[in-house]
Amino acid sequence: MSAWSPERLLPDYIKRFEPYVPSKPDPELMKLYGCSRLYRLNNNENPLGPPPAAQEILRRFPPPRAAVYPSGDAYYLRHKLALKFGKQPDQFLVGNGANEVINFVIKAFCEQGDNIITGDKTFAVYEWVAEFSGLEARLIPLKHNGFDEAGMLDRVDERTKIIFICNPNNPTGTHWSSDRFRRFMDAIDGRAIVVADEAYCEFVEADDFPDGMSLIDEYPNLVVFRTFSKMYGLAGLRIGYLVADLPLVQAIRSACIVYSVNTVAQEAAVAAVEDDDHIVRTKEMVREGKEFLRNELRDLKLPFISGEGNFIMIKLPMSDTLAYRKLMAQGVMVRTMTGFRFPNYIRVTISSMEAMDAFIKALASLLR
Amino acid sequence: MQPIHKAEVTLSLRADLILLPVATSFVEKAATAFGLGESEALSLTLATEEIFAYLCGAAAPGKEVLMKCRSGGYYVDQEFLFEARDFNMKAFNLTASVSMDHQDGMDETGLLIASRMVDRFQFFEEGKSLRLILTKDKSYPSLSDLPAADHNTLESYSIRPPDTEELKLFVYLAHKRYDSPVTPQSFNFPGKVADMVACGEYRSAIAADQAGHIGGGIVWRWDGIRLVEFYGPYILGSPNPGMSQALIDSCLRNVARIGAVGLICRYPTPELPAEYFEPLGSLIFRNEENALVELTSYYRHLEEDLGLSVWSHDSIEPFLVNTYGRLAFAREIKPVRSGGESHSAFSVLAAEFDRGAGQVTLRPIWWGADSESVLAAYVKTLLKEKLGGILFEMDLGKSWQCYFTPALSKFGFEPRLVLPYAGQGDLVIFQHRIGGSI
Repeated sequence: MSAWSPERLLPDYIKRFEPYVPSKPDPELMKLYGCSRLYRLNNNENPLGPPPAAQEILRRFPPPRAAVYPSGDAYYLRHKLALKFGKQPDQFLVGNGANEVINFVIKAFCEQGDNIITGDKTFAVYEWVAEFSGLEARLIPLKHNGFDEAGMLDRVDERTKIIFICNPNNPTGTHWSSDRFRRFMDAIDGRAIVVADEAYCEFVEADDFPDGMSLIDEYPNLVVFRTFSKMYGLAGLRIGYLVADLPLVQAIRSACIVYSVNTVAQEAAVAAVEDDDHIVRTKEMVREGKEFLRNELRDLKLPFISGEGNFIMIKLPMSDTLAYRKLMAQGVMVRTMTGFRFPNYIRVTISSMEAMDAFIKALASLLR
Repeated sequence: MQPIHKAEVTLSLRADLILLPVATSFVEKAATAFGLGESEALSLTLATEEIFAYLCGAAAPGKEVLMKCRSGGYYVDQEFLFEARDFNMKAFNLTASVSMDHQDGMDETGLLIASRMVDRFQFFEEGKSLRLILTKDKSYPSLSDLPAADHNTLESYSIRPPDTEELKLFVYLAHKRYDSPVTPQSFNFPGKVADMVACGEYRSAIAADQAGHIGGGIVWRWDGIRLVEFYGPYILGSPNPGMSQALIDSCLRNVARIGAVGLICRYPTPELPAEYFEPLGSLIFRNEENALVELTSYYRHLEEDLGLSVWSHDSIEPFLVNTYGRLAFAREIKPVRSGGESHSAFSVLAAEFDRGAGQVTLRPIWWGADSESVLAAYVKTLLKEKLGGILFEMDLGKSWQCYFTPALSKFGFEPRLVLPYAGQGDLVIFQHRIGGSI
């Protein structure tokens, strides 16, 4: 007689978890906020789009091939990456965006009662995947806006399986130097898997940034994540990968879903890997945009946190979510930082000068 | 952070008077096991007896009834799920009376008794089924013999969750220092707040030094399924903006990733860091010296607003357009207009009392053609009881609630503020003009 309810079948840790509600599509948002154009400065996308060769793949993709399953394990892309980074193809696992490879690692190594460790103010997906897998996420407060190695080491115990370090950190842009990273790996001494999420590594200007690809030869418990969503402008195709020492990758492969990455994404990524000019062009744009923003923010007397990466965090004298709505009404979409546990901050993607100019004008109007 | 029901027992039976003792024994034993005192358990049992008897006699004879008794930590819920051909919720109006001249009136006497035996009730229509939930709170002693307040300002402190004894002491001290409604009604009973925290309904944080001295605190809870409401920040010593901000930051850190859409403070303390929030509007209250006090409600959206469609009666559309414009909320306002379709004959309102604050909040349970007379009766009764702060919450996500708007205007209510996402849609809070002396 009663309406069927899934409640009885749900694990408690899922009942406690609230579903993530993604943004509406741009045309819907524009209609709601009454704006005629929208600068997307919220997701750290690359306004230059994918590299030209990848764009050509998209233009020329033969529609009938959509009927054919993709390579189940991104065969050609793994070989291309192996060639570029001097590794074996089997050291790479490709996923439907970096979010999926986070899942692979957690599913492979963690069971009820285990814990993962990460920062309290970083990319949220490590924490989310752990919690909806019924695991404890130990969140270590950032120190000087960066990951605190001593704080993390203090919380490691025999049930700690994975430590996630976002390097450079999203959203603060802080990074661990090569020396600091090695000291941490030495202190961990193989007790847990360490994930270095290098989603923004191609944007880094600092000379002391560690080369995760070479460190995996020294540390068999290190996993490096990379993505094609940021620098390579393929966010809409969802493709990312992990790389690690071969035995570790073989272990993760047990929990890996195959056939999850579509053919277009795989082929566009193969083409994108080749294009180093695209990185140079993008870095020039980011450098120019960041410099412009820093100067303008100083003039507006707004504190900001700006490090590596194609983004900058700005502290506002008002609620960040109110600022979001007011900026949306002027056609500028930024990322609010309350969800990153930085109340009253916004994160802004470095984009074209036209977009940066529109953002500064809109921001200034909020402060008047 | 959603409250976790600690225990639930279920009974399925036919609506047959021969099974009445089974139904009442079930509730009595379960309510007692879940911690209700003898008197409260008896009230819930009597209410159950009346509801079950009504179902057997008039509303659903022979039909299956699913009964669930549930512990909420500081209260017990008794839920009935049934199919009824005619269940007259009208008797659940506070102002209802029963005519003894007709059999119908005699039948509904039981419902009237049931509604007065419990602290709260909810009523839902789910397809062909009706779900009625009666709630009875545990009773708690008010603590008056706790140590005298130590209002020294702390030199250094950290923000952390309190243990049970610290929580009770903090609640006691905050209640002594701040007037109602700045402290919620539950603060009259520190033990109740401790149970509310233990069962997950409230969360709390205090500012304490290393020696355990408490300098302040904050409490928050889910308000519906999308909003978190907080009370405070309470500062027990001299004003301390740093401590206020640290308490708010702690609350924000805790609610930032739990899926809540917004954070609201209806009754802010003077210590609230206003720059963190958006003023929604204000309500007027009488304080303990009987003076009128205007309190601004503050809000903070926690996510990027995805926009919403809301229903509205024509007469409050200008208010909504102005409010949404001021707060920069993207809303599509859809008008409700009667097309001459048939409606229920009766309306039902639920009333939640905060007698300490001289305030009552009316919430629509059912709309019908008698809405004006029902509302008029409520206003008359509440003013007679010296409850001047009469609020009415209208959920703009439920189109039928908008039909109360003309009656509200006619009997002296005016829209004062919009609580984004506080119901199925946004909630508009109306305040009665005469009672609140707006």
